[in-house]
Amino acid sequence: MAGPLIPAPAARGAGAPRAQSGPARILPGAGRAAWLVLRRLGMLTLLLAAVFAAIEVLPGDAANATSERGESAADMVARRAALGLDRPVAERFGTWMTGLPTGDLGTTAHGQPVTTVLAGPFPNTLLLGTLALALSIAGALALGSWAALRPGGRVDRTVAATATAAFALPEFVVSIALLLVFSLWTGWLPAVTLTGPDGAPASWDMLVLPLLALAVPQIGWNTRIVRGALADQAALPHVRAAVLDGLTRRRILSHHMLPGALPAIAVGTATSAGMLLGGAVVVETLFNYPGVGAVLAGAITDRDTPLVAGVVAVTGAAISTLLLLADLVRDRTLGGRP
Amino acid sequence: MTGSTPDTRPRTAPGTARILTRALPALLLVLLALVGPLLAPHATDRPVTMPYGGADDGAALGGDLLGRDVLSRLLSGGTRLIATALAIAVVVTVAATAIGILAALRPRLGRWVERAADLAILLPAVLGILLIALAWPSGGRLAVGAAATVLGIPYAVRIVAAAAAPVAATGYLETAAAGGERLWYLVVREVLPNLRATLLALFGLRFVEGVYVVSVAAFLQLGPQPPEADWALMIRENAPGIMLNPWAVAAPCLAIGLLAISVNLAAEALAPARPTPETTL
Repeated sequence: MAGPLIPAPAARGAGAPRAQSGPARILPGAGRAAWLVLRRLGMLTLLLAAVFAAIEVLPGDAANATSERGESAADMVARRAALGLDRPVAERFGTWMTGLPTGDLGTTAHGQPVTTVLAGPFPNTLLLGTLALALSIAGALALGSWAALRPGGRVDRTVAATATAAFALPEFVVSIALLLVFSLWTGWLPAVTLTGPDGAPASWDMLVLPLLALAVPQIGWNTRIVRGALADQAALPHVRAAVLDGLTRRRILSHHMLPGALPAIAVGTATSAGMLLGGAVVVETLFNYPGVGAVLAGAITDRDTPLVAGVVAVTGAAISTLLLLADLVRDRTLGGRP
Repeated sequence: MTGSTPDTRPRTAPGTARILTRALPALLLVLLALVGPLLAPHATDRPVTMPYGGADDGAALGGDLLGRDVLSRLLSGGTRLIATALAIAVVVTVAATAIGILAALRPRLGRWVERAADLAILLPAVLGILLIALAWPSGGRLAVGAAATVLGIPYAVRIVAAAAAPVAATGYLETAAAGGERLWYLVVREVLPNLRATLLALFGLRFVEGVYVVSVAAFLQLGPQPPEADWALMIRENAPGIMLNPWAVAAPCLAIGLLAISVNLAAEALAPARPTPETTL
């Protein structure tokens, strides 16, 4: 939930000049796609470097944070050397980055491989996040289209106000409200997630409340984006022409408005993914859900740079992939035809 | 799907009276939260009833995990939350206004702003706050406020730059620039007055965002520490006793929810209306 803003217009401007670049002229589609991939990779690298540097600036380090009581100064120096903390940060970052392509995310301050620590909780968060993203997009498309068919009407205004309100609510407030209603007063759903022997939630109904708590604010966010994008489309001449041609509303919506609105919706979805991951930290804590959020909170307390960087790398890569898909969608919709 | 009549309602700026009615709940709530500590019937740090005591044992909303009066803590818990969120909103809006207008007047700076905002999308805000707040453990609310300010500026700048771009391209601005007016004069006297609606709405939305960030941080126990009365902290602390005294959790939850919603609706009311007319389907 980084900001109630649609980044689409400015990003659109940034993409304009690349059509004239050299490789694009020879291999229009592939060249542009490769350039988009490179750009996203470069930004991800920059972000990881920033995270490494930020943790480096923190007072205290992993050797301090994970030390046992009564450890001598000599032990600390030895631990620091064992963790590689005596090397300059640029060198450690370089080592870590070169390990990335081989799937090696480094070693945590407690000496375990990062991939091992994340292997258990990551699928759980991925499951929760993917379901929440799917639910929020389905909900937003339905609500946004419903409102867009009645511009200025009562439905439109109610949907707009509700979406705005839902988006403003922090995830933990939604969580508590859901807990009170569905768990405490009606007893329909379990209040906490119990973990089965395989490390996954013990039953499916434990997923429902965390899922809703994550999805509700994002439905609000995406509904606003869908509604806004459809309104922009509705102002275009080809939609007017379709209306004058007497096409049904359903067909105008699906064939004339939604395709043009797709780029904005795609960017909204990518932004939503980042906010979902942020919200997961809170929601997983509250519902005792065994995911990456809980691991992350502990990792930052331990000043566990490789573990934090590992989580940021995985989430950043996920968001980058979605943004890249959004770029490609925009490219397809707004020209870039070979 | 009945046959629709053409929508004749003009999509222009809403009237002052309408803005006032929609901003009123937010203003009242903020006012109540700010004077709340004076209305508290009990001290916020001393037990008056049993831990998680019911609503009638001498406390209107029962007791919390230590038996302290939930109503008194509720009345005291919003002041600092709102003050921090307001401070964040003011700093972000002012900084973003300055940078955003400059970016619109100087396209080279504008491109850098765009890149920074692109980068900021990749770092979920909560992750960024965790990083900065833990980097500065003694910082408390200040650290959380600083994190929210730093992370909020790129997006806000983008809004201001987008709103300022058409103004920067107008003839009267070009005339003023050609006439040798200095940059600050262009920013303050020529562009700024045209962005009032955008900036007011931006301020409101930044306030909502501030409430979100500060309360999430408090909920994760990064800002204010346990003895303090804080709505988000109350929710975190009293969650284990939700079966015994639901009000200890529900009341602060309701307070944060109402604050977020009412301020957000007020900000929406202030936003400039969509300029393009829509086709009625």
